[in-house]
Amino acid sequence: MRIELKDVSFYYKKPFDIIKDFSYTFESGKLYLVKGKNGSGKTTLSKLICGLLRPQKGSILIDGEDIKKKRTAQIAKDMGYLFQNPDMQLFAMTVWEELSFFYELEKNLTEENKEKIHSVLKKFRLEKLIDSFPLTLSGGERQRLALATIFIRDIRFLILDEPFSSIDQEGREFLTALIKEFIASGGGAIVISHENIFFEETECIMLEKNNEA
Amino acid sequence: MKLDPRTKLIMVMLLTTLGVLAIDLGYLFIVFLISLAFCLILNADLIMAIKRLRHLISVIVFIAIVQSLAVRQGRPLVYIGNFYILTLGGLINGGEFALRMMIIVLASLIVAGSSSSEMADGLIKMKIPYELAFMTIIALRFLPIFREEFSSRLNAIALKGIDLKRQGVIKKIKIYSYLIMPTVSGSILKSKRLSKSIEARGFRAYPQRTMYRELKLSRLDYVIMSLIVVFFISFLVIMYSLGGLL
Repeated sequence: MRIELKDVSFYYKKPFDIIKDFSYTFESGKLYLVKGKNGSGKTTLSKLICGLLRPQKGSILIDGEDIKKKRTAQIAKDMGYLFQNPDMQLFAMTVWEELSFFYELEKNLTEENKEKIHSVLKKFRLEKLIDSFPLTLSGGERQRLALATIFIRDIRFLILDEPFSSIDQEGREFLTALIKEFIASGGGAIVISHENIFFEETECIMLEKNNEA
Repeated sequence: MKLDPRTKLIMVMLLTTLGVLAIDLGYLFIVFLISLAFCLILNADLIMAIKRLRHLISVIVFIAIVQSLAVRQGRPLVYIGNFYILTLGGLINGGEFALRMMIIVLASLIVAGSSSSEMADGLIKMKIPYELAFMTIIALRFLPIFREEFSSRLNAIALKGIDLKRQGVIKKIKIYSYLIMPTVSGSILKSKRLSKSIEARGFRAYPQRTMYRELKLSRLDYVIMSLIVVFFISFLVIMYSLGGLL
């Protein structure tokens, strides 16, 4: 997957561009670490890439195709996005429902898919919490569940917004290993973080407050 | 024009009361014009309000049309044979409903220019117990939070690759039913956190509450308040002695 940003500018309020003439290419197989001070446009950049926000100037191309006329759902089909607050992406009554939601909606909860859910639950260490109400889980568990809902789909690109901000050391190690595994399997990831996580294929993007990368 | 929140609250109270009590379209139109005039005097941003309330306005217009079609009193205006589609009575009823709602909307714009803390101070000065005043203000502040939370969850759905606009009605209902539960529970959790936070900051620790900003009624406040009270009383007297205008 190849995400190209060409001279992208975005403002919430005219004339204060939060992103200005930003050009960059993100590719699969690499980790991109986006850093910068508060208010430098890190989250805005990630929302532009997944189509939650649309640039006022410039263009964003995914695999050579302009996303301008595409709906967010279409853009996000191959992408996973982890919110800074994972609670925002949890809405089912139980952990199981949270993961089976997608299949149930498509009336496709086959034995094979149930197996897939069980393996994801195991991978994200949630198998003992299967009947729990998601919003009452601990911070780390909620994040793992939100990640599980992303990895239940076959995604090619991952965007994580401040994923290390509210988890303990064990959670950090788990998440770092997960990102590493995803990159190794050919996926690409953009991580917005103040933490330094570096693998062999890491590119660091520093966003300055004056909107330059 | 900067007015004391108490003046604005009294204006809202009296104008909305008149909106409810007005007995026909003519009186309602007068109250509507007066409310509009006060909004303009107080520099309420009407264009922004129309933009923000466009969905509400379309609902009001829709209900007014339904009412017009449902009421079958008075001279028929549009009919096929013996079947009346629209009558004068229905049209007047629909118009009255729309005007009542618009008066309430305009009256709310009068207080919209004041911050929530100013309104709380105003209510407390009007001898409303400050627990109640804060409860009202916090409830009002929760509405945008509720809306934001719901739209964030809609975004989360879209980010799962689910295109809501392309789903059938049954699937849409299913998705929305999934969203309501966490939005409500999320808001309850937020309100719990908020109540703990205000307790921690000493809310109700002392029976006497002092205020950083002391509200004081200016001469302009007295003039506006007198005008609105005089208008309120004379409106009621004229309306009940003259009867209907139309």
